[in-house]
Amino acid sequence: MADMPSGFWSGWIIALTLSSLAGVAWLVWSIYYGRDLQEESEVEPVWDEDLEEGHNPPPLWWFWMLFGALIFTLVYIMLFPGLGNYSGVLNWSQGKRVADSYEDFQANFAEARAEVLNMSLVEIQNDLDLMDTAERLFRRECSACHGPDGRGQANMFPNLHDVDWQWGASAEQIEQSIRGGRNANMIAWQAILGDEGVEQVADYVVNLRQGVDESHPGRAMFQQNCVACHGMDGTGNPALGAPNLTDNIWLYGGDMDAVRETLQQGRFGVMPAFGERLDDMQIKLLIALLVR
Amino acid sequence: MNGLTFHRKVEENTGLLIFGILFVSAIGGLVQLMPVLNQESLETATANTRPYSAVELTGRDIYIREGCSVCHSQQVRPLVAELERYGPYSRAGEFVYDRPFLWGSKRTGPDLHRLAGKYSDDWHRIHLLDPRAVVENSIMPAYPWLAERAASETGNIEAKMTALRRLGHPYTDEEIANAESDLEGVMEIDALIAYLQMLGTGYSAEEESGE
Repeated sequence: MADMPSGFWSGWIIALTLSSLAGVAWLVWSIYYGRDLQEESEVEPVWDEDLEEGHNPPPLWWFWMLFGALIFTLVYIMLFPGLGNYSGVLNWSQGKRVADSYEDFQANFAEARAEVLNMSLVEIQNDLDLMDTAERLFRRECSACHGPDGRGQANMFPNLHDVDWQWGASAEQIEQSIRGGRNANMIAWQAILGDEGVEQVADYVVNLRQGVDESHPGRAMFQQNCVACHGMDGTGNPALGAPNLTDNIWLYGGDMDAVRETLQQGRFGVMPAFGERLDDMQIKLLIALLVR
Repeated sequence: MNGLTFHRKVEENTGLLIFGILFVSAIGGLVQLMPVLNQESLETATANTRPYSAVELTGRDIYIREGCSVCHSQQVRPLVAELERYGPYSRAGEFVYDRPFLWGSKRTGPDLHRLAGKYSDDWHRIHLLDPRAVVENSIMPAYPWLAERAASETGNIEAKMTALRRLGHPYTDEEIANAESDLEGVMEIDALIAYLQMLGTGYSAEEESGE
């Protein structure tokens, strides 16, 4: 409550709280000790023949319990924020408590983190415990898209076990992919190539892996439009996220229908950035898990 | 007067007893609620918090209609485990344009307050239509109809934005006038994804110093 709207409301809280406490204290005290038994001995009414008010005081432990609660309350509101703008002797706040416990948490793991960060990837890969942690991390953070075993799914999220990585499979490239994310940008070619062009280029691309004749009708259009990203020979360019078209590994499918659809609609795969969500050690563990 | 005679007087006089009960039970509200109603920090938006766009607002209504908040909370609590799992804890100022807020109280699924940017739009689309296609042991229901209905059919967006403006959301005339055209061609699933992709973007780490 450190940001009370004004002094008035702070005073309002203090006055109401303290006067309530004083009122309760007075009530408790006077019921037990303020009572003059002589004065009470005036005529008591009697109901239903023999029913009258008893004169036994309530048990004393009641009194001490109530009084103890009052004292606890007073100590509590002195120590912790509760009385308007008064922030308490301990200067406690929820935000500070989280910050402190988070700091403790980080400090507890600082050594282990530093150790992992100083290890080489091969050393990490040889440490079964660390690889176990890495796998758990993968299941938690990556498996929703890449699948629990990392083999990709939904014809949209890449298999991480194969050898052809769209954005590169070196440690540096993987780190970049994890930290900054990736945004693939294969535009739609329908408007540029036209129906026939799409058909020819798709046929050219589908047949690329078994070698295509120089006289293929799609070759000219491929040379003109596709080589800037996919390279003269169609082997791709990891810097641009352009996949290799000459192997058997396809993200969206390598048959005629899939390639035609890719050409018609374009493909805009997104790998979200995890630089903010994961710390350096976690990223390093994931790299060790993924790199080969 | 001592406590006992006071007690007797109250017990013998019903009117006084009723008044006494009301007075005593009002004190808590007077102390807890009255100052909070005037507490500016609860009404001040955090720096990156903005009113929902027409599409996001529609997505939010779909989120409410489909009962997402029954299984997903939207509040990261200030606990270390939650900070590690979800990100910075939720701030009051992030919810000033939430009417009503969708904090929820049960996590059958994960908390969604820091969801923005965690998954791609494509992932959300697959996941909403068939959660098992991407998360094999998910128990979330599928929402296939979201892809079949136009977002503009969920209600009069201009009226919604006008009503919210009356409550203090700073929409411009232009935004309200363009609301309907913003929703053109947008399916319900697109609107919902737009909403999910801005959840929790109202907070930035630079504001941490103000805690």
